[in-house]
Amino acid sequence: MLLLVILLPLAGFLVLGLFGRRFKEPLPGVLASALVFLSFLLVGALLASGGARFVLEDWLPGIPFALLLDPLSGYMALVVTGIGFLIHVYAIGYMHGDEGYARFFAYFNFFIAMMLTLVLADSYPVMFVGWEGVGLASFLLIGFWYTDWKNAKSARKAFITNRIGDLGFLLGMALLYSLFGTLQISELKEAVEGSLVLPGGLALAGLLLFVGAVGKSAQLPLMVWLPDAMAGPTPVSALIHAATMVTAGVYLLARSSFLYANLPDVSYWIAVVGLLTALYGALSAFGQWDIKRIVAYSTISQLGYMFLAAGVGAYWVALFHVMTHAFYKALLFLASGSVIHALGGEQDVRKMGGLKKHLPRTHLHGLVGALSLAGFPLFAGFWSKDAILAATLSYPFGGVGFYLAGLFVAFLTAAYAMRWYALVFLGEFRGQGHPHEAPPVMTVPNDVLALGAVFAGFLALPKPLWNLIEPFLAPALAHLEAHEPAPLVEWGLLLLSAAVALVGLYLGYLFFRDYFKKKVPAWYRAFEQAALEGFYADWLYNTFLVNPAKELAFGLGLADRGLDRAYVYAGGGVGLLGRILAGLQTGYLRFYAALILAFAALFVLWGVVR
Amino acid sequence: MNFFYLLVSAALFALGAYGVLARRSAILVLMSVELMLNAANLALVVFARAWGSLEAQAVALLLIALAAAEVAVGLALVVAIYRTRETTLVDDLSELKG
Repeated sequence: MLLLVILLPLAGFLVLGLFGRRFKEPLPGVLASALVFLSFLLVGALLASGGARFVLEDWLPGIPFALLLDPLSGYMALVVTGIGFLIHVYAIGYMHGDEGYARFFAYFNFFIAMMLTLVLADSYPVMFVGWEGVGLASFLLIGFWYTDWKNAKSARKAFITNRIGDLGFLLGMALLYSLFGTLQISELKEAVEGSLVLPGGLALAGLLLFVGAVGKSAQLPLMVWLPDAMAGPTPVSALIHAATMVTAGVYLLARSSFLYANLPDVSYWIAVVGLLTALYGALSAFGQWDIKRIVAYSTISQLGYMFLAAGVGAYWVALFHVMTHAFYKALLFLASGSVIHALGGEQDVRKMGGLKKHLPRTHLHGLVGALSLAGFPLFAGFWSKDAILAATLSYPFGGVGFYLAGLFVAFLTAAYAMRWYALVFLGEFRGQGHPHEAPPVMTVPNDVLALGAVFAGFLALPKPLWNLIEPFLAPALAHLEAHEPAPLVEWGLLLLSAAVALVGLYLGYLFFRDYFKKKVPAWYRAFEQAALEGFYADWLYNTFLVNPAKELAFGLGLADRGLDRAYVYAGGGVGLLGRILAGLQTGYLRFYAALILAFAALFVLWGVVR
Repeated sequence: MNFFYLLVSAALFALGAYGVLARRSAILVLMSVELMLNAANLALVVFARAWGSLEAQAVALLLIALAAAEVAVGLALVVAIYRTRETTLVDDLSELKG
């Protein structure tokens, strides 16, 4: 039964990939959505019946193909299939009339199948299969409109950057295998708890797995691919590069929490990397003019928050944020998609503005998404972000420094969320034409997502109110004792972060409300320019890594061509020798006889003289 | 005594070799080859006499049979060539020039 969860979307991929071109337009989309929904129901049913397990012995020598549905993987699978289903439905409308309609949904189903493999895997090699599979799906979908050179380049960039992380994952697996002789997660869990044979090796393995997570989740320093990944169609950005695939890194950390709970040093670095990424993403978001790139940088920033939570040891909080983030980030992307759709492909926020009037429904979605992202009190993003900030204080690997920096990023988050909202929806319309609202097939999924973006946070509230997620996930995660602050302190911190979010929103509103009419200070312009370039990370990589590597490849190519030429010439030399020797073949019998005699005589002479 | 026989053999061989090189008619070339073959045969018999061995003499008998077969094939070829080309001059048969 558990295998069926993966096989359903995989079947959709095969059917649509092979015969999709014969289907009439809405059919591929409907079929793909229905299969994902079936998967969703199946996961829900299996989870309600207490989990499931599937083992195929001897998949690889000594490594079984093991799938496991426990609370952690079930939770993640529900997010993947649930949000995935809504985005599938949205894409039915968004991809309307596209030449590659069926191909799009084939890839989408393939992605869901691979993501479920990743999530449900109970051994690292199986997870790696899914890990690479989602990478491939991401590559195919970023470059979906592959006739445009830029999109193809972005797809390649994403794939190659991910390779670096994947290498870390692979090495980490190899190290774990050599340390413990197994890669099955449930067995590793016991092995690690048993005895620390080689703490250094264990730490290195954890670090290498973390490198894998860094690549997939676009953390510093491998974050450069995510903004460019927005070249794909908007539902792709929503599904893969916001809600699900990029959270695979967080999921990997949570899955491996039994490892990281024993590695305070590695955890510390995870938190630091997460925090820096959160800061980097938030600052970069201020300079972007592309409506989707703003949201993309905010994704990087929010992923940084999740890593921060996982780093301080609050694994359930990281997963809580994964879920709320999936709701509001998918919503933000799909609202962006509706805006782009309404404006006929325009993505530059400088040519938007005032869309509140024209797109009332989408405006509502954008507002809810932005407020949830900003951490507006009582919205989903507020609760999960506050849980992260509180966790930096209460969990063993945390610290006050993390808290303060996190709070500052929360302020920035609120400000750029407001910037996005204000530039798109407030003020005067700065573009041309007459925008029109999206069809219901696109707005209804957004309604559902908006509900989630508002209410999903109520699943886990601070003490003494109810918390459903922590006890639900607890059996699958490593347990770290948090020293609970007094409820009064906790609620005080809650008020503080609410105040920070509100101040950020208000200042953002003041600053960006009539941004194009007023005079902007020069230092802000300079900052904006730097942020637009992502603080020159791309430039840095191009100068120091990419271009030297390209030059090297070019040089090696020349050397290779030289080598080829040498071989060709060597072949020509043999031909020349042949031509010279062919001169001996006069065709005169008597000449041959003379040669035979002469050499026979020489031979005999040699024998005599010697 | 054997030495003189060997000298005769060597002379025969040299005559044959000269014939192969100098003659143009295929039949004469063939005859010269025959001469060389018999020179070798003579040498074989001389050595057999010198060593007092019968085996080499048996080989000499075999060689005579072989020479007969060779002549048969060779002459057949010459006849075939003459029928198609109206000539038996070996210098005219130089199609295999490289």
